Amino acid sequence: MRTALRKAVPAAIPFLAITIAIESLVRAGWVKAWLVPPPSAIFQTIVRDAPELFRALAMTSFGALTGFALSAAFGIAIAVYLSSSRAIQQAFYPYAIFFQTVPIIAIAPLLVIWFGYGLRTVVASAFIVSIFPVIANTLSGILSTDRALRDLFSLYGASRSATLWKLSFPAALPQILTGLRIAGGLAVIGAIVGEFIGGQGLGAVVDVARTQQRTDKVFAAVLLASFLGLALFGLINLLSRVVLQRWHASEQN
Amino acid sequence: MTEATTPTTSPITTGVALRLHQVRRAFDSLPVITSFSLNVDAGEFLAILGPSGCGKSTLLRLIAGLIQPDSGTVSLSPADTKFQTAYVFQDPHLLPWRTVLENAALPLELMGVDRAPRLAKAHAALADVGLTEAESRYPAQLSGGMRMRVSLARALVTEPRLLLLDEPFAALDEITRFRLDVSLRSLWLERGMTVIFVTHSITEAAFLADRAIVLTGKGGIVKLDRRLNLPRVRNNDLRVNPQLALETQALLTAMEEES
Amino acid sequence: MTKPTNFPRRTLLKLLPAAGLLAACGKSSKTRLALNWKPDPEFGGFYAADFAKHGLDVELLPGGSGTPTVQMIGAGSAEFGIIQADELLLARSRGNDVVALFAAFQSCPTGIMAHASRKLESIGDVLRNGTLAMESGLPFARLLEKKFGFDHVKIVPSPGGDLTAFLHDENFAQQCFITAEPLQARRKGVDVKVFPVSDIGYNPYTTVVATSRALLQKNPEMVKNMVAAVREGWAAYLQDPTATNQKMHALNPSMELPSYTEIAQAQKPLIGASPLGKMTAERWDALAAQLKELGDIPKTLPASDCFVDL
Repeated sequence: MRTALRKAVPAAIPFLAITIAIESLVRAGWVKAWLVPPPSAIFQTIVRDAPELFRALAMTSFGALTGFALSAAFGIAIAVYLSSSRAIQQAFYPYAIFFQTVPIIAIAPLLVIWFGYGLRTVVASAFIVSIFPVIANTLSGILSTDRALRDLFSLYGASRSATLWKLSFPAALPQILTGLRIAGGLAVIGAIVGEFIGGQGLGAVVDVARTQQRTDKVFAAVLLASFLGLALFGLINLLSRVVLQRWHASEQN
Repeated sequence: MTEATTPTTSPITTGVALRLHQVRRAFDSLPVITSFSLNVDAGEFLAILGPSGCGKSTLLRLIAGLIQPDSGTVSLSPADTKFQTAYVFQDPHLLPWRTVLENAALPLELMGVDRAPRLAKAHAALADVGLTEAESRYPAQLSGGMRMRVSLARALVTEPRLLLLDEPFAALDEITRFRLDVSLRSLWLERGMTVIFVTHSITEAAFLADRAIVLTGKGGIVKLDRRLNLPRVRNNDLRVNPQLALETQALLTAMEEES
Repeated sequence: MTKPTNFPRRTLLKLLPAAGLLAACGKSSKTRLALNWKPDPEFGGFYAADFAKHGLDVELLPGGSGTPTVQMIGAGSAEFGIIQADELLLARSRGNDVVALFAAFQSCPTGIMAHASRKLESIGDVLRNGTLAMESGLPFARLLEKKFGFDHVKIVPSPGGDLTAFLHDENFAQQCFITAEPLQARRKGVDVKVFPVSDIGYNPYTTVVATSRALLQKNPEMVKNMVAAVREGWAAYLQDPTATNQKMHALNPSMELPSYTEIAQAQKPLIGASPLGKMTAERWDALAAQLKELGDIPKTLPASDCFVDL
């Protein structure tokens, strides 16, 4: 706990510095408050609109986490399947890339038709936006298995599944976790984009606040969304540490 | 020098004999091994020397059956018994998420041996390389020399009849290397398996082996095939023995002509 | 794409409302008029205007979803911009000193369209069941809520000008520009019934040319010339939109030329005033009172601060 605090201090310094800088610039009249709301106003908004904002945050969190969990599960499963043969990779990998390039905004109206307004559209959006890095990283991790170890496994007659589960998959874990880390941030973005379309959570708060020119509230919602992204990132890092603690040099200290 | 005519086989012969006949192997139509022939007696300790890129590693992989020759034959005698070959790489290549004991037990696990007996055997193999205390540690917590010992224990755990080593100690500091050389030699004396040891260190080849061959840079042609006239039991005293210097000199001459 | 919904235009990437400011940061010697959508008949009078005749070199900046024109004017990244009256009141109450000059649309073209097959009689009927897609942050939306309540209707975000959901679901109604989406829906074979939001007494001036108080004070002559040029432009466009429509179609070919003609015709009744663009203190006061009642602005703003009659 104490080390966590000590780690948080250096990260808090730029945050405080920027906060103070913006506040002073706005108070001095150098920057107009209706363009960049002063941090104090954002904070007041968070306090005043706390019930609404935190209910929205809870909805966004649920949508983002569900989408992320689906991405993790399906992404890893798809990558494992793709890794089974070069022919399968050539046949299906281009379609995995589709997930990365799909302009989520362009297909937004369709998402609503397919999944209806509300949570399912949010989850679908978070899922579509975040699955690709999981697939790409898992696949590249599995495919880059040490050749010497592959030789060793074949020397002792290991089956394909034994090679996958006792060698390739665990060896790919650091890369899988990197993929999950990227996917976590994307899932939050995907969820919020989904909420613009699907109409709930922080996305809807931003939508409404923007039409009302409530920049303070827009920023308040954005700030909460960032904290959600940060929390998800921290969660995955924690998972990473637990999984990799003993065997990765990068996690040694 | 009471044993001037030391037999090249160890006393308890459990090793296999090996015969390579006109073996050819190319990669992407670039020949790496061209018409290579070699006979190795059961229980022999053979060192293979040669410049980088002369096909030493390819040769080992061919012998291990990890790759097949394009033409020619590789045969073991007695004929291929499953899992009688073990392979030690230049780097330890341990599984970082497994303890030392679990790493040493890996080959038996892949072969389908039950947990209790395989851990017992792994424990014994680790004892043979002097690593009993480190059993529950993870590779990241070990020194380079200790990791190589684990790698060696992993190779020995199946009681192989043919042990292939591909420049195994090259990356280690000299003190550690000397120590491992002595360990390896005495393990061979105890067990009597056939050992093929690829190295680019002439002194290491001379110190370890009873027979050394020098390959040329092109296509793995045997340039020199020499029986080394050295005592069977070897320890670090041998390193300052003039006899070793003589053998080293002979190998060096062949190597120098080559390069 | 046809004419999308009411403005401020719906956007899907609105995390940074001031994003448009960054894009428009480069200083230009030209006078800039920032539009809040792509060239289309709503801006016909501006494309028809002969600015040179009034000694102006004007560049029309086409906008897109959520172009924050009112903030652009305040920040000086455009000298003039197109806004809606309620937007201006919100901006003023937040300290952005923007002034209205010319209201092209006397009647607000925002409406709600529903499938004619539902046989709805009034805007209140739309809220009796089904789904309604609209920008729920807009004052008219909350006025609707206040008047009728949203207990029986599902409110979802406006899909912009997209009709996919509307065409797909008979019980789906959506916010629209009464001159645009209904035409498109009919063309797709769906008969629609349209309810302008002015039915419930909400009728802000729309497609309003605005500028900053600073510019108005610094260069009143230029502002005056701008208004004169725009007024003549709209008169010309009402007279004969053909050439201007072709010009705009060339700039924005995503909409068919016949649609330009149809919309230009359909919007005529919303424009008429004498002289063109005229605004009255009564209507500004009425709008301010409505917004105050809705809680959008903390106190009513004097009409004299909001617009100038040039």
